[in-house]
Amino acid sequence: MAIVGSRRPSPYGEAVAEQLGLELARAGVVVISGLALGIDAAAHRGALNGGGLNVAVMGTGVDVIYPAGNGVLAEAILAAGGALVSQFPDGTAPRRHNFPARNYTMAALSDVVVVVEAAEGSGALITAEAALDLHIEVMAVPGSIFSPLSVGTHQLLRDGAGLVQNARDVLMALKLGGEVLDDPLATPQRLGFGLRRERDGILSHLSDVLALNAAEIARKLQLPIAEVLGRLTALELDGAVRRHHDGYVRALRRGKERA
Amino acid sequence: MVGSVDSCVLAGLDVRRVHVEADIARGGNGTFSLVGLATTTVKEARERVRSAIRNSGLEFPHTRLTVNLAPAELRKQGTGLDLPIAVAIALARAHKAPPPHTAFVGELALDGSVRHVDGVLVAARGLRRLGYERIFVPAEDAAEAALVDGIEVVPCASLIAVVNHLLGAEPIAIAPRGLDPPASAAALEHDLAEIHGQEEAKRALEVAAAGGHHLLLSGPPGAGKTMLARCLPGILPPLELWEALEVAQLRSLLGELPRDRPLGWARPFRAPHHSVSAAGLIGGGGGLALPGEISKAHLGVLFLDEMAEFQTPVLQALRQPIESGRISITRSGGSVSYPARFTLVAATNPCPCGWAGDGLRSCRCSQATIDTYQRRLSGPLLDRVDLQVAVRRVPLEILASEPTGETSATVRERVVIARRRQVERQGVLNAQLKPARLRQLAGLAPPSRRTLERWSAQRGMSARGFHRAWRVARTAADLDGSDQIEEHHVLEALGFRLQDVAA
Repeated sequence: MAIVGSRRPSPYGEAVAEQLGLELARAGVVVISGLALGIDAAAHRGALNGGGLNVAVMGTGVDVIYPAGNGVLAEAILAAGGALVSQFPDGTAPRRHNFPARNYTMAALSDVVVVVEAAEGSGALITAEAALDLHIEVMAVPGSIFSPLSVGTHQLLRDGAGLVQNARDVLMALKLGGEVLDDPLATPQRLGFGLRRERDGILSHLSDVLALNAAEIARKLQLPIAEVLGRLTALELDGAVRRHHDGYVRALRRGKERA
Repeated sequence: MVGSVDSCVLAGLDVRRVHVEADIARGGNGTFSLVGLATTTVKEARERVRSAIRNSGLEFPHTRLTVNLAPAELRKQGTGLDLPIAVAIALARAHKAPPPHTAFVGELALDGSVRHVDGVLVAARGLRRLGYERIFVPAEDAAEAALVDGIEVVPCASLIAVVNHLLGAEPIAIAPRGLDPPASAAALEHDLAEIHGQEEAKRALEVAAAGGHHLLLSGPPGAGKTMLARCLPGILPPLELWEALEVAQLRSLLGELPRDRPLGWARPFRAPHHSVSAAGLIGGGGGLALPGEISKAHLGVLFLDEMAEFQTPVLQALRQPIESGRISITRSGGSVSYPARFTLVAATNPCPCGWAGDGLRSCRCSQATIDTYQRRLSGPLLDRVDLQVAVRRVPLEILASEPTGETSATVRERVVIARRRQVERQGVLNAQLKPARLRQLAGLAPPSRRTLERWSAQRGMSARGFHRAWRVARTAADLDGSDQIEEHHVLEALGFRLQDVAA
């Protein structure tokens, strides 16, 4: 099963890809992705955490890690018994025109292609098109209607792609239904930090999709900005929220910062 | 017959005494020689002085005339020596001794009137320090010189008026000492109360103002970064007298002081365009360097909009003055040093196209360009910025409502109190505390220290970053009126460390 998507996903998309990778790997599915930044890396990471096999389909020679920052990830994939594969000869440097061909190969290797966050014109959509050509099932994860990264996935859904709300949806498509270990309908809150929420009123005002900045939270809670900033930082230290350039989101799992 | 008077030349803010001697020989054919290491502007004085003396109805010597500028090894430039040369010649003709403890500065027009020269305030302060009691200056610069305590200022409209005064024919009234009282709470051009939302950035401004911290605002175009930066001078305490004089001195050197009200009480705000050269920013020019933007922003705010667009060497040149609050510049004419203690407010987009992380529009930059862009910013300069805050565009529904925030005057009251606490405790603002004094003066309670260390370990914060966060926490505590740095002060300080957050 392939998981593909934006190289620069929202925190939400990244968390979804990681979660899907993890749960599907636990269910014994081989997770295929492209070793790129963003959704690809998150899916690989999730599959590794789930103790599963990974196949990274590369757009370069197998001896050329691109982007170089994913070298550690590539090694971890190999160490866990997975594979790096490429249709290009050794030593092939990253070339723009090689990646669409790689996307096609990735689709061809999969039984199902899941798209998590793809803006208009994204490479992930090429993989989806290739899958359609090859009569391979395409599925998509819905995103926020406010996010430009949802345009591609929502278009796929409108065109008839399967809806992915949890790992079980994918397992059904793979005709492996019912083998997920975790409750596949578990909400992020139940996976995470139920206790903290009781203690601190801020978390319930944060979303795991849309970033809110400290000013917006302070306004909602009618609290001084200095206090809100401090409390958010405390939550951040505990890994309960994540700060991004555009604000704070609830972290989907505790301890994600250290991953 | 020898006549002589005293004058001075400026080397930056330093004042060097110059003794002007004029000797009218018995013989010779009316040649006029000027000796004493004069640069071109001073050599040209001969022509101006000759015409000015003739056109004032005075007689120019028909015999050989020699003017010496002592000390001879000091390079002299500028037009301020015109008046003293002409006066020395007049005194030589009249066989008069030089007036005691008196100096002359001024440029001459061909018709004999006395013209403005730059830096009269600097000259007046320096001459007073050298023990002079009276200074003759161009009439239009008299208000400027009269800001200086303890020196009599004689405004000179024309050469003939000066000569008549010296010969006792027609005394000139000395200029009244002119210190304007600080402008009472005049309406601010940019008030925090006019900014909708942006509480996070406003709080960062308050902390920056209270502790003298440098600040980075990061956000998409149109988020209001410039507006926020322009509000900073208004929440800083007004200049004190010595500060106002320091600011006025630098402007005087550049000839930028308004003639009627030379002393300003508002904090400077400078916003050089990103095409500025290193010389324009830190100071430069031929011969002796003149103050640049950073010195014009002394005791005020230097705003660098679109910081990533500035040339790297230009930004690099900022490092030394940011650390030391001074800049030394060496040019062919010698080395000068100017004060440059400013609060830096830098603004930047999160990525080259400006829209990364924005909810409404998607960013079109590749990860590689964003990385390059961020690397340009994260150099040694931003390492010296204590507060980094993301500015988001304010939603329309808030823009449409009435702003509800505090006025600049209210915030300034808190800033003034917090700054007073710091000065009473340690003599300087928190941002200028060295690590050793920080440990000694701003002890961290164990929970505060643990939090800071935990963050440091989690985010790989450098030792420098550790101290920066510590200083900001000290300022947050001062704004709170608290002697202890509590854990929530540290947490707030860490909340302003955007640099530790994944892009």
